[in-house]
Amino acid sequence: MGAAVRVEVTSQIPDRRLEKWAGQAREYFGVPLAALEEVKVYKIAPVSPANDLESNVAKVFADPVLYLAQMDGATYTFPQNPAFVAEVTYRPGVTDNPARSAEEALALTGLQAVVASGSLYFMFGTLDAAGAKKVGRELLANELIQKIDIWSYDEFLKLPRFTDVKLPKTMLTHAPKVEQVSLELHDKELEQLSRDRTLAMTMQELHHIRDHYRDADVQALRKKQSLPQSPTDVELEIFAQTWSEHCKHKIFAAKIDFTGADGKTKTIDSLYKTYIKRATKEIQAERGIDWLISVFSDNAGIVRFDEKIDLCIKVETHNSPSALDPYGGALTGILGVNRDILGCGLGARPIANTDVFCFAPPSMPEKGEEQFMPVGPKPPRRILEGVHKGVEDGGNKSGIPTVNGAFFFDRDYAGKPLVFVGTIGVMPPVLPDGRDSAEKKLNLGDRIVMVGGAIGADGIHGATFSSLELDENAPATAVQIGDPLTQKRMADFLLEARDLGLFSAITDNGAGGLSSSVGEMAQMSGGATLDLGLCPVKYPGLSPWELMVSESQERMTVAVPPAQVKAFIELATLRGVVATNIGAFNDSGRLDVYYKDTLTGSLSLDFLHNSLPQMQLKAEWNAPKPRPDWSATTELKAKRIPAPDVKTALLALLASPNITSKEKWVRAYDHEVQAATHVKPFAGSKADGPSDAGVIWLQPHGGASDNAAAVGCGMAPRMSPVDPYRMAQFAVDEAVRNVVTAGGDPDTLCLLDNFCWPDPVVSAKNPEGAYKLGQLVRTCEGLYDICKAYGAPLVSGKDSMKNDFRGKDGRGQDINISCLPTLMVTAMAKVQMGASVGSGFRDAGDHIYLLGAAGSGLAASEYAAWFDVADDNGPAIDLAKNLTLYRQFNAALKSGCIKSAHDVSEGGLLVAVAECMTGGRLGAALTVKGADALFNEAPGRIVVSVSPGRRAAFDKALPAATLIGQVTGDDKLLVDGANIALADIVAAWRKGF
Amino acid sequence: MANKPLFIVVCGDGINCERETAFALEHAGGQAQTVHVNDLIAAPEMLKTADGLAIPGGFSFGDELGSGQILALKIRHKLGDKFFKMVEAKKPVIGICNGFQVLVKLGLLPYPDAPERILALAANEQGGFINRWVTLDVNAKSVCQWTKGLDKTQIELPIRHGEGRIAFKKGEEQKEYQALIDQGLVPLTYTEDVNGSYGRIAALTDASGMVLGLMPHPEAFMFSETYRNTHARDVAKGDGALIFDNMLRVLKGEQSHERRAG
Repeated sequence: MGAAVRVEVTSQIPDRRLEKWAGQAREYFGVPLAALEEVKVYKIAPVSPANDLESNVAKVFADPVLYLAQMDGATYTFPQNPAFVAEVTYRPGVTDNPARSAEEALALTGLQAVVASGSLYFMFGTLDAAGAKKVGRELLANELIQKIDIWSYDEFLKLPRFTDVKLPKTMLTHAPKVEQVSLELHDKELEQLSRDRTLAMTMQELHHIRDHYRDADVQALRKKQSLPQSPTDVELEIFAQTWSEHCKHKIFAAKIDFTGADGKTKTIDSLYKTYIKRATKEIQAERGIDWLISVFSDNAGIVRFDEKIDLCIKVETHNSPSALDPYGGALTGILGVNRDILGCGLGARPIANTDVFCFAPPSMPEKGEEQFMPVGPKPPRRILEGVHKGVEDGGNKSGIPTVNGAFFFDRDYAGKPLVFVGTIGVMPPVLPDGRDSAEKKLNLGDRIVMVGGAIGADGIHGATFSSLELDENAPATAVQIGDPLTQKRMADFLLEARDLGLFSAITDNGAGGLSSSVGEMAQMSGGATLDLGLCPVKYPGLSPWELMVSESQERMTVAVPPAQVKAFIELATLRGVVATNIGAFNDSGRLDVYYKDTLTGSLSLDFLHNSLPQMQLKAEWNAPKPRPDWSATTELKAKRIPAPDVKTALLALLASPNITSKEKWVRAYDHEVQAATHVKPFAGSKADGPSDAGVIWLQPHGGASDNAAAVGCGMAPRMSPVDPYRMAQFAVDEAVRNVVTAGGDPDTLCLLDNFCWPDPVVSAKNPEGAYKLGQLVRTCEGLYDICKAYGAPLVSGKDSMKNDFRGKDGRGQDINISCLPTLMVTAMAKVQMGASVGSGFRDAGDHIYLLGAAGSGLAASEYAAWFDVADDNGPAIDLAKNLTLYRQFNAALKSGCIKSAHDVSEGGLLVAVAECMTGGRLGAALTVKGADALFNEAPGRIVVSVSPGRRAAFDKALPAATLIGQVTGDDKLLVDGANIALADIVAAWRKGF
Repeated sequence: MANKPLFIVVCGDGINCERETAFALEHAGGQAQTVHVNDLIAAPEMLKTADGLAIPGGFSFGDELGSGQILALKIRHKLGDKFFKMVEAKKPVIGICNGFQVLVKLGLLPYPDAPERILALAANEQGGFINRWVTLDVNAKSVCQWTKGLDKTQIELPIRHGEGRIAFKKGEEQKEYQALIDQGLVPLTYTEDVNGSYGRIAALTDASGMVLGLMPHPEAFMFSETYRNTHARDVAKGDGALIFDNMLRVLKGEQSHERRAG
């Protein structure tokens, strides 16, 4: 091993990102940071003594124009000296992508070396030590995954940083060992055990396991297997992961006694079976739908919108990790849902991503209000920027376009942000070797091959951790950074291997790691045995249970027929992908886990998967309870003002975070890689008008030339406190209306349900549990009814059940924040190419129509979030009328008599018209009057424009449409006595945040 | 020249536009063989038999150490002369977005024979990745064979990059820029400042005119179906298709047709 050296790389070009951070330090933290300079640091430890290290370093790190790479004796000349210097490095074991790439690059130049990367930050200005620390912690580093050292400039200059170069060494304090864990304990001790090991198990579950181990036959077998009487930690952890709420969805499967508004109590045997699965099965039968290829059984739903290709779609949430490390949490979230698609059927290719964020307002807290915020989660602005960057890198670096999404802001997401990430994939119905691509067919004796990155302690307990509410002591191991390059290589390789017929089944390593992926696949053959000692590791010392449950990223588990193992692993190696043969699938009825040839755990698959007693829960919902405000007693509390005049109200709403343009953020996503994005996020004469949905042309993906798919989303969480039943229907209707407005055929709709709920299990610390579960029941009832009415099957879904924060605020006072009960609905529908029109007005003189009844009721609207309103009920919804309307609308679109179409959502009718004006940079004169009519958010409505020449045809196609005005050439909006300049509307809409 | 010139389209290591780039070349009347960079290293003779080469867009090596840097190192150290010979032989080479960054890092643009590089593709001035459509002026005086005789003076294409800003060696900007213009090595420029690129340079070629590197994505605008607006534009061919057609015409020895009057 040669001596380690340190390279410092300076950019010759000013970096705007640093200017932005300096600005934020001044703006948000009041730290007088005049400027910030970054120097990238690489610590290089050659594996063998290097003779010409300088030239290797120059080749890899230097650039004649961009980068100066300095080694020993590096000097910097500044106009004036920095006040402080900070060095940020990754903590041991945390994924270090720049270092990993640097190792590959150095190897190309002939130098084998181990590398660690970091950054030096020079802080200029009159800031003091406390200010430097604040900047370091809030802006430069996340101490969960990074280490930060701060020195005064003089101290820094004295450091032996080039002569004494140390790379972070990952040292696990323990040697690999297997413990036996007795469950013969008092309940209090069992509770403690569950907490200490982050098992997130209930007493009922722990007793269930204990009783199983008391069974004589079980003990006899364990004796024969020379396993201890008590469960080993490996076994206990497998139970914990497999039975976690995250993996098993126990609440949706529970037996619920629900007392409704009529005072009657009914028993619901699984919300999932009763409302979600049943809706789909009934709709499929009633409508004779033949295009549902696979629903609820696989990693994603598979539908057939095209003769030549199938589409699969999945939406996940990654809330808890995103609260602690917004960037890493969102990045691993998007890469994770991509793997769901890669692991769908025999593997699908991701063609589009979607993303929906629910955060506290970015302006929160204002100066001086920090102490009222929860301690633990990052501040809303940090979460917004980190999550956005994570989704940006996850999509862009994987070559997957982000085609649709939404930002929704509400103070109740200050405890846990909600991060929904979705992916659409494409697969040929039949593979080259004639196999049905939707069908995993695992054969006895197939080898268990783990593909992708090595295993580390990172991501241990992700599944159980996300099944707990957040507190200050959340485990850092649950946080990790994704590696898009490793995953892209793996994805390319797996799709190549799929077409070569090299494997028989595949699934991703997500929550629960190997314990979940192998545990699930083992059910196909009826058993599995693996040796964890064969797994590639990031560093030594990991115990078997850690290897079994680690959620280290970028891994898939594949079943490979013995005859193909050689070819499979050779191709992997050729593609720079690690693939390891770690065991075999059998029909032993058991999951046997070895570590270096020693049996460390053996579980009955039947007990593991089928024995868990159904959860019994109580729920009630008879009337809405007043919405609690966790910040009511503080400066943070919601501040509303008396309703102003129409102009003031419209401009205020257009500029509000929930409505204002997100273009700045969205354009950081590549939305058209793969050259198939037909309707892009922004369009119109200045390309800044909002689109209602993303539309993907299927021909570039092997589909028919006139065929496309629209994807959109919808939610209405502010309705939850008013009426959860309508909340579900508003969410579905908005998602449906978005895709229909963009050209989707309402008779080819498929839906995805993603529930994010506050803890709905009643307990001493959660007295409102029964009401929250009641809200969930009502939401499911509303969801079932609208799916049936629209004939729209649910093809996939997910739920996340503990979106609460229980901890302290900055003043050390107890604080509980529960997220708004949120159902996020994703809709996908078939589009006939040519049907899509933009949302922006096109020509002066065109007629403006409102499709759908005017509606009434301002409760839960964006208007009501800012201004005092009397209404506390909100608008109604007419399911039958809506479906008829959408069908007529779709026919009219295809006949070409509609020139522009935009759905009416946040902000109501007037905001929708203002957005149409922005898209076309045209004026409008409206006949609609009154705040309610102008700003209510009644569902089922679309604003369209029609040229005078097509008016007769349009009136015939959509008899129920109401003429509400005309597009004008003079740049203003005339409405209800107000005269609002187009320029003011555009400025307010483009304000952003 | 074969009536269907064969282009090698490089993929792997984080490149991600190989499918649409291969499609674009085939749509223009060529053949495209998509080859993983590791397979190319294993059988470099492919480069001898091929008529041309494309390095598509993407995020090779995750853009670590600067976009294009590591893929350029890989090509230089693993393919070396076998790769450079292809350029010396004046076979057409196109580098799109990340591919452009690779060609620049390899020193192939704008001056293949220069001892040291005079320019680089730096981080966008606004400091981040941006996906938007741009209008480009086509330089009729450029020696670029890919754009010569395009029957349009302006084309529209999307850009999708975080490091697309042409930056010259400090102090030599104006001189070097003028030299590029005088030699006709700047085939495309943005009509507005989109990323701080010096002189709004969007693309570069070499003296032979056979090597084209450009930040915008021609393969993303082959048909009106992927135009920036779903309506208002119904063309038989997207502006990107014109560039590929043009090179295929050159390879097939056809006259690049006269610019239409007006």
